[in-house]
Amino acid sequence: MKKVFAIALGIVTAIGGFLDAGTVATSGEAGAKYGFGLIWAVILATIEIILLVEMVGRFTAVSQKTYADAIREKFGFKFYLFPLASELIAESLLLAAELGGVAIALSLLTGISWHYLFPVAAILVLILVWSASFDIIENGPALLGLVTLSFLVGVILLGPPKLSLLQTLWKPPIQQGQFADYLYLVAAILGATISPYLLYFYSSGAIEEHWSGKSLLLNRVTAIVGMGFGSIGSLALLILSAIVLRPLNMQAGTLGEIGLAMAKPLGIVGGYLFAVALFSTCLGAALEVVLAVSYNVAQGFGWEWGQNQKPVQTARYYAFMIVFLLVAVIIGLLGIDPLQLALFASTVIALFLPVSLSPFLFIMNDPAYLKDKTNGWFDNTAIILILLIAFAVAVVSIPLEIITGGG
Amino acid sequence: MNKTGFSLPVLVLLALLMWTLAGCQFTQSPFALAVSSAGAEFAAAATTLSYVHSGKISTQYARASFVNYRSQLDGLDQQLPSQQGASGGASVAHLLAFYKVAIRAVDNPCLEASCNWQAQVAALNSASQAFLKAAGS
Repeated sequence: MKKVFAIALGIVTAIGGFLDAGTVATSGEAGAKYGFGLIWAVILATIEIILLVEMVGRFTAVSQKTYADAIREKFGFKFYLFPLASELIAESLLLAAELGGVAIALSLLTGISWHYLFPVAAILVLILVWSASFDIIENGPALLGLVTLSFLVGVILLGPPKLSLLQTLWKPPIQQGQFADYLYLVAAILGATISPYLLYFYSSGAIEEHWSGKSLLLNRVTAIVGMGFGSIGSLALLILSAIVLRPLNMQAGTLGEIGLAMAKPLGIVGGYLFAVALFSTCLGAALEVVLAVSYNVAQGFGWEWGQNQKPVQTARYYAFMIVFLLVAVIIGLLGIDPLQLALFASTVIALFLPVSLSPFLFIMNDPAYLKDKTNGWFDNTAIILILLIAFAVAVVSIPLEIITGGG
Repeated sequence: MNKTGFSLPVLVLLALLMWTLAGCQFTQSPFALAVSSAGAEFAAAATTLSYVHSGKISTQYARASFVNYRSQLDGLDQQLPSQQGASGGASVAHLLAFYKVAIRAVDNPCLEASCNWQAQVAALNSASQAFLKAAGS
């Protein structure tokens, strides 16, 4: 019974915790600009994250090591600094976007400008990472995040899409001069979904929850069912934007606009549901990013770490959390719109994916860590292909977006 | 060094330069991009105003949204004339005329029933259409 409960909780929290500022921003903008023409990218990203989450859970359950531990051990400390540097750059941008997402959500509920609420969001995250246990951080916002399933209700209430919109599934409406923007969104969708912080968070969480070889079933079911169903929120948001915002000539340039797509089928309740969904998913993601990067640094430098220990026992781990949060606050205070920041952060993550995840592939094929549970050819091929796609579209689209002022 | 005398980094840089130049063909000009984004923001503002008066969103939601629309449109009137790809003074002046009327609605959106919100929606929609048309031309 305890095992069934653990699996159910794992699935539910994976579904509720799937979205974040990046996935909300990319899904909303993708639907509004290109109809159903980027659904393929969401599906591709979902397959990739299912594979990666299953792998990192399997790795930790079998080896009893975290991902950061393994990189340092196998490749040495100097090499470890490369993926660490890419993580610090990309995730500090992402954390600023997540804090902005929390602030925008509170703003949509209260009417107060998000600029004033940004520090409130940062303080809320600081209080939670300082005082809450791992279970609360992992499960609390994710359970609240189940409200994202209301996006699916919205899609059902809107009824079937028009044939012309359906055709965008295989023939994306890319106007002349928009191809770079289309690629930029592909990169952002892949980067938003395949955030490497999830691997550090998931593997450290598996240690915090004392996973063992017996946890492999829980790991596999959580990865496949939880992440698979979690992507429903992302797909539903894309479909809502395509059906509601696109015909109104909107491009989902701000997070609040995306919520208007929920207001059409559900009225005033739809707006509130969107704001609550944005709040819970961005808060959950902000907490996970802070923890994941702090875990990574603490494990890499050999410090004491653990969310279930008191700050006095793991002083450097908690001190780093504060510094990292401060960096994100400084980025956020530059006043960049959270949606634009989320898109940029997601594309930067896509650009860094090969640096972040290549060591993981080597580790996943090392029997010294995984015994007879190493990767098969399908896992390896799928991961390499999707990483290359993400890197290629990011490396092409980022300079072009910056040159034209779109990024 | 290879037979042509170019080192690998130089070749990579040349390839990147050619790629960037070729990229001009599948990117919009900064002017078209700015105008298109502004048109979409005006459309969003018009929809927000219509939705709040038909009870589909709360006043708080609308107020928060307008703060964001203002940020997105901030400084556009100064940027447009100097943007690369701007299609002549007359065209920019035409757009700025729409901008001036619509931005007043964005600055002071009529969120209560006591003022003429329909006129603001009409101004925002007109500006949206003008900007989107300019982006496509």
